[in-house]
Amino acid sequence: MNIIVCYKLVPDPEDVVAKPDGSISLDQAEWIISDYDLMAIEAAVQLVEANGGKVMALSVGPSQLANSKAKKDVLSRGPDELYLVVDDGLRDADTSLTARTLAAAVAKLGEFDLILTGEGSADLYFQQVGMQLGELLGLPTFNAISKVEWSGGKLAVERSLEDEVEALEVPAPAVLAVTTDINQPRLPSMKEILKAGKKPVVEWTLGDLAVQDGLAQRVEVLSVRSPKQVNRKQIRIEGKPEEAAQALIGHLSKEGVL
Amino acid sequence: MDFRLTEEQELLMSSLKELLEREAPESYIAELDEKHEFPWKPWKALADNGFLGLGIDEKYGGTPADVLTQCLVADVLGKYAFPVGVIYGLGVITIRDIEQFASDEQKARVLGGIIKGEPPVALGISEPQAGSDAAGLKTSAVLEGDEEWVINGQKIYCTLSNVAKYILLMTRDSKAENPYKGMSMFLLPTDTKGVRINPLPKVGWWSVPTCEVFLDDVRLPKSALVGTVNNGWMQLMANFEIERLILSASCVGAAEAAYEDAATYANQRVQFGQPIGNFQMIQEKLVDMAIKIENMRNYYYKIAWMMDNKMPVRHEHAMAKLYITQASFEVIDDAMQILGGMGYMMAHRIQRLWRDVRVMRIGGGTDQIMYNIAGPQLLKKFKK
Ligand SMILES: Cc1cc2nc3c(=O)[nH]c(=O)nc-3n(C[C@H](O)[C@H](O)[C@H](O)COP(=O)(O)OP(=O)(O)OC[C@H]3O[C@@H](n4cnc5c(N)ncnc54)[C@H](O)[C@@H]3O)c2cc1C
Repeated sequence: MNIIVCYKLVPDPEDVVAKPDGSISLDQAEWIISDYDLMAIEAAVQLVEANGGKVMALSVGPSQLANSKAKKDVLSRGPDELYLVVDDGLRDADTSLTARTLAAAVAKLGEFDLILTGEGSADLYFQQVGMQLGELLGLPTFNAISKVEWSGGKLAVERSLEDEVEALEVPAPAVLAVTTDINQPRLPSMKEILKAGKKPVVEWTLGDLAVQDGLAQRVEVLSVRSPKQVNRKQIRIEGKPEEAAQALIGHLSKEGVL
Repeated sequence: MDFRLTEEQELLMSSLKELLEREAPESYIAELDEKHEFPWKPWKALADNGFLGLGIDEKYGGTPADVLTQCLVADVLGKYAFPVGVIYGLGVITIRDIEQFASDEQKARVLGGIIKGEPPVALGISEPQAGSDAAGLKTSAVLEGDEEWVINGQKIYCTLSNVAKYILLMTRDSKAENPYKGMSMFLLPTDTKGVRINPLPKVGWWSVPTCEVFLDDVRLPKSALVGTVNNGWMQLMANFEIERLILSASCVGAAEAAYEDAATYANQRVQFGQPIGNFQMIQEKLVDMAIKIENMRNYYYKIAWMMDNKMPVRHEHAMAKLYITQASFEVIDDAMQILGGMGYMMAHRIQRLWRDVRVMRIGGGTDQIMYNIAGPQLLKKFKK
């Protein structure tokens, strides 16, 4: 079975710097694969290991995507081929532009049985791209998928909802967004890392694709601000529980919290 | 000069850090230490993810790697799971000796097992009367009827021998006049009749057992010999340099862990109404510690680079081992000072790093022996 797995590069949360004026700096950030997509990649690799075929990794985004270490990183996790749409027009793309670009890229990839995505992205977490992509392609589309099996040209999936697990049979091809507990992604070994550099990579720009409605965005971001940082007050409350609780209430009301 | 690691090395280190966060978090390493347990689970995880095959020939299922990459692995292990770093480092010398000198059958059996997660092969050199003077060892191997080796003697400080499947054992032919031309190397299965192994309680390395080994009429087939009769010393020396360097790299990681603990604590601990980090005497310590870490790491980078470029490192590696094992202990000792009483409590990892790293100045050749290796070499350069 041929699987397309979509992933996003996001700034490493550990490298995100909140400046004193509340603005966010990503200048020092290394771009890494969004956590949630690692499960989608692993699910794709496991399905192909069990049923044969190939995994095509696909991502669309700004120039960071073309970084050679980032390419090796995703390929060291098991996909056989990598397809990228690298274009600075995709910097700060909203979910609609991202999904439309992915759909245009999928159209160039040929036959496939399944598209997998993560549950959301580690930076924005809108949880919409997979759903919009399925809609644009006119395919059966589900989120919250915690299990996928392939049998006789159909997909047997489980969908984890709040109080129940749905078992569904889905015709292929389909678009599925997987949950974080679907698997524990394997870690790349030296062998896989060395192999990654030799796998095929295809890079397109927006000019190579027919993206529906061009670069139109549906969401306008006005500003991104971090919450104000306050120094610790270093207040220590001691004494009997009742007295300590009273003292705590006193401090909290003085701060205007209560 | 390019100090950047390759993309492959960077990816491998991120993979290793993630693995250790999953399989060997600090709480688990502390628990194993307290229980004096070998880190079976992290060790298996390293094997499952291909780390134990690094540097081993692909023929046996390994992945070739240069000395620097192996040092980087030890450095990361040293930082997050020092005992695992020690075990990794100890394994390197026996792996290399076996790769270089053992028979194909021995290699397939032993290296294949290590790649799958068996503990490293233990190394049996030291004896009660033969420590720094390793050539003073007396354990004997006598060929009986051209069929079997009969081994008698006693080893001490034989690390991992009670968990390992094999000991790479050094013996001495008492008839050979020159001890360096009278030693032989054997692959001894630890479950052989006549082998008795007894763990020795010690200050640190509680997850890394060190034992005395008694050998009473131990019979080994002729094929248990590794390499050539009486060539054991040359075989042993062939890989001491890389072992010392890799173990040193793990000390750098340990020192960095202690330094980070100390810097974090200095920001948080308030005395005299302010964080102790505001006091210049604490800042001085932190800066000195950071300089040492930088120096130590650059030192092993350079020696690894020399080795990877096939340059001789006879006195260079000894000087690096001497400096790094001393400086890393100094950094950890200073970290303990910055943490005050908390640093001496069993609840904090600083005490464990302090106990674990101290012995690196003794094992693998003492400080004094490193001076003995380097000193004459330096003088020789200036002899007219
Ligand atoms: C935890 C631990 C694990 C070990 N693991 C192993 C192992 O797996 N396999 C193995 O074979 N061995 C192992 N060893 C043994 C280790 O290699 C020896 O302890 C070391 O070589 C020193 O020998 P010694 O302890 O007998 O000290 P000695 O040689 O008795 O030295 C005592 C003191 O005298 C000094 N000294 C000795 N000779 C000289 C000299 N010529 N000039 C100046 N000073 C000198 C030493 O530096 C030291 O300070 C281990 C040791 C320890 C502590």
